[in-house]
Amino acid sequence: MINRRHFLTTVAVGTASAAALAACGTGSSTSAGETGSAENPVTINYTWWGNDDRAERTRKAIALFEEKNPDIKVNGNFTDFAGYWQKRATEAAGGGLPDVMQWDLSYLRDYGQRNQLLDLGTVNINTDAFEKSLLPSGQIKGKTYGIPTSTNAFAVYYDPAKLASLGIAEPDGSWTYKEFNEFLSEVGAKSNGEIFGGTDYTGVWWMFNIWLRQNNIEAFTEDGKLGFTKDDMKKWWNQTAALRGTPAIVSEERVTQLAPKSPFGSNVTATEVTWDNFMAGYLADSGAKELKLAPVPSDDPDNLGLFLKPSMLMVASAKTKYKDAAARFIDFMVNDPEVGQIFKTSRGVPASKTQRDGTTFEGTDKLVVDYEKSIEQYLKDAPEPPIVGFGTLEASFKRVASDLNYGKLTIDGAADAWFKEAEDLIKQNA
Amino acid sequence: MTSTATPTQSLPDAELAHYNPKSESAGTKRVKSTVFHLVALALTAVVLYPGLWMIASAFKPNSEIGGSNTSLWSNNFSFDNFVTAMDGIGGVSTLQFFTNSLILAIGAVVGTILSASVSAYAFARIKFPGRSIFFGMMIATLLLPFHVVIIPQYIVFQQLGLVDTYVPLLIGKFLAADAFFVFLMVQFMRNLPAELDEAARIDGAGHVRIFTSIMLPLMKPALISTSIFSFIWSWNDFLGPLLYLNTPDKYPLPLALRLFVDQTQSSDYGAMIAMSVLALLPVLIFFLVFQRYIVEGVSTQGLKG
Repeated sequence: MINRRHFLTTVAVGTASAAALAACGTGSSTSAGETGSAENPVTINYTWWGNDDRAERTRKAIALFEEKNPDIKVNGNFTDFAGYWQKRATEAAGGGLPDVMQWDLSYLRDYGQRNQLLDLGTVNINTDAFEKSLLPSGQIKGKTYGIPTSTNAFAVYYDPAKLASLGIAEPDGSWTYKEFNEFLSEVGAKSNGEIFGGTDYTGVWWMFNIWLRQNNIEAFTEDGKLGFTKDDMKKWWNQTAALRGTPAIVSEERVTQLAPKSPFGSNVTATEVTWDNFMAGYLADSGAKELKLAPVPSDDPDNLGLFLKPSMLMVASAKTKYKDAAARFIDFMVNDPEVGQIFKTSRGVPASKTQRDGTTFEGTDKLVVDYEKSIEQYLKDAPEPPIVGFGTLEASFKRVASDLNYGKLTIDGAADAWFKEAEDLIKQNA
Repeated sequence: MTSTATPTQSLPDAELAHYNPKSESAGTKRVKSTVFHLVALALTAVVLYPGLWMIASAFKPNSEIGGSNTSLWSNNFSFDNFVTAMDGIGGVSTLQFFTNSLILAIGAVVGTILSASVSAYAFARIKFPGRSIFFGMMIATLLLPFHVVIIPQYIVFQQLGLVDTYVPLLIGKFLAADAFFVFLMVQFMRNLPAELDEAARIDGAGHVRIFTSIMLPLMKPALISTSIFSFIWSWNDFLGPLLYLNTPDKYPLPLALRLFVDQTQSSDYGAMIAMSVLALLPVLIFFLVFQRYIVEGVSTQGLKG
């Protein structure tokens, strides 16, 4: 029925039309920002990811913005996190990114380098109330692509009720890796293996990154190469070598069985190392009354390697027709104290001091804010936006570390495997 | 999945029917039949377990779903998840999501039936210049992975200002862009005796009359299996609506389902599962009502040489 000549004709027709279409895509306007008036408002599109709760809060914030800025209407849209990036990739290729977007740090460099995002340094957004150490995380080569809405910091979560039932004292806020390991072993031993000490913290990329910073090593150099050696990585994975397979650390099999919930959220471990904005999720998953936060362990008590990371950023499309309106909306979302009151810590702790001071925090929110205040003296500059393909590297770090826990790889083998992947990826994106 | 279940289950039946009763005693036959039914039941239990798990979990509180909870039933049985699920998301009611899904699914069925049957008639019964080239091109579109055309297609609809409407999702159905269904109907029509339309032509019928009075009634099995597949595919489609719809008011169910699970905040697995159960109902009912036609449709098309 179908012969080769027919097939080739089809392919030729297809290719030609695709080329014609691609040509259409480039002819967009680059005119300066159009403005509206109260009678004839301009409409900007704003899109975010998140659940029902965030949609409700954002709707309130948008209503407030429209009330204060009658010349701008905001059309809000949302999807889930995974779908969000598929949609953005298609829109970027098709030239139709929304005017203003909620953004994640790991995608900033990718879209910024492809000139998809507006340089927010060219528009009027007030960043006076921001920590100076935080702003570089939204900048690439001197251009500001993202303004952080809020911050989170790394922490050790623990469940005080579980510790009390085992007769173990709560951490006092300062510990070395040796003390932390002993603590994990104690939990495992005293509970007779019913509650594990924690997950293997050496399998968490950001914990590794923080340990590198404690040793004054940057994970990535400015030109996007690896800043650490294989030996650093082996040394890191050796930290918990004696704990793997004991009740101090939950086994990888168990972690996989519990997915998508975390072992901590499933009440299987007493501690977890991760970002402080997971508090609400852990409370909901575990049903625990109270969870607390402690700083990460460090062998140098003056250098905890901690930093504030933007939990999300606000960016604008490079092709937006309404630069001025977009800038005003971003400024409002990051600085306005009333917006802080609406979101509380559901986006993370507000990054702008104006917004933070204008917000009253209670209960869980207060715990997270207090934690970030308590580590203030240890905070150093946030790292630059991660390299392109960082998500892949982080995922492969996790995979290799879990193979290590399964006993499928030795520490040397694991380091070799990860380095090979990382070097290939960096070469590809160079 | 639903499409393959029926034929595979009916196969052993067919084998049993071919048994020669004389060569075996009644006792052996009974043992064989018992073993067959036990194995079939065990397999059914394995296959249906995820469904059972889903229904059971819909009645559990969020903290008892997944994780270290292994029991199927919870003592804290409640309908709370269904209440949350029916509340809607971000000011859009769940009923709205259902309506949107229904509009899309029914639109897809109507469009596909209308356009695919007409195109199939042309390919199967009318001799026009370049027929085989066009037919070949149509088949070639089946070989094109969907992911290759996403971006060019998006650009077209974006330039036409049709993003955030149902047009990009439905227009293809009305223009017979689903080559699979056209092909299915062409094959079906080719098996209908040509003498029928020749007789109609002698009686003075034109193409329109032949198509509506002769072909359509004879094609019922093909039309029904097409409707079922296009309904289910449209009902389950996630990527198309994700890319083309922006306003949450227009989202169909698969997009809404994902909004309950947010890795960056807290996930409401309970509400998501409850909504999955609700979302499954229409497809299940649709399948139960039409399932005998599916078997009929598949067997009349597939087994005729």
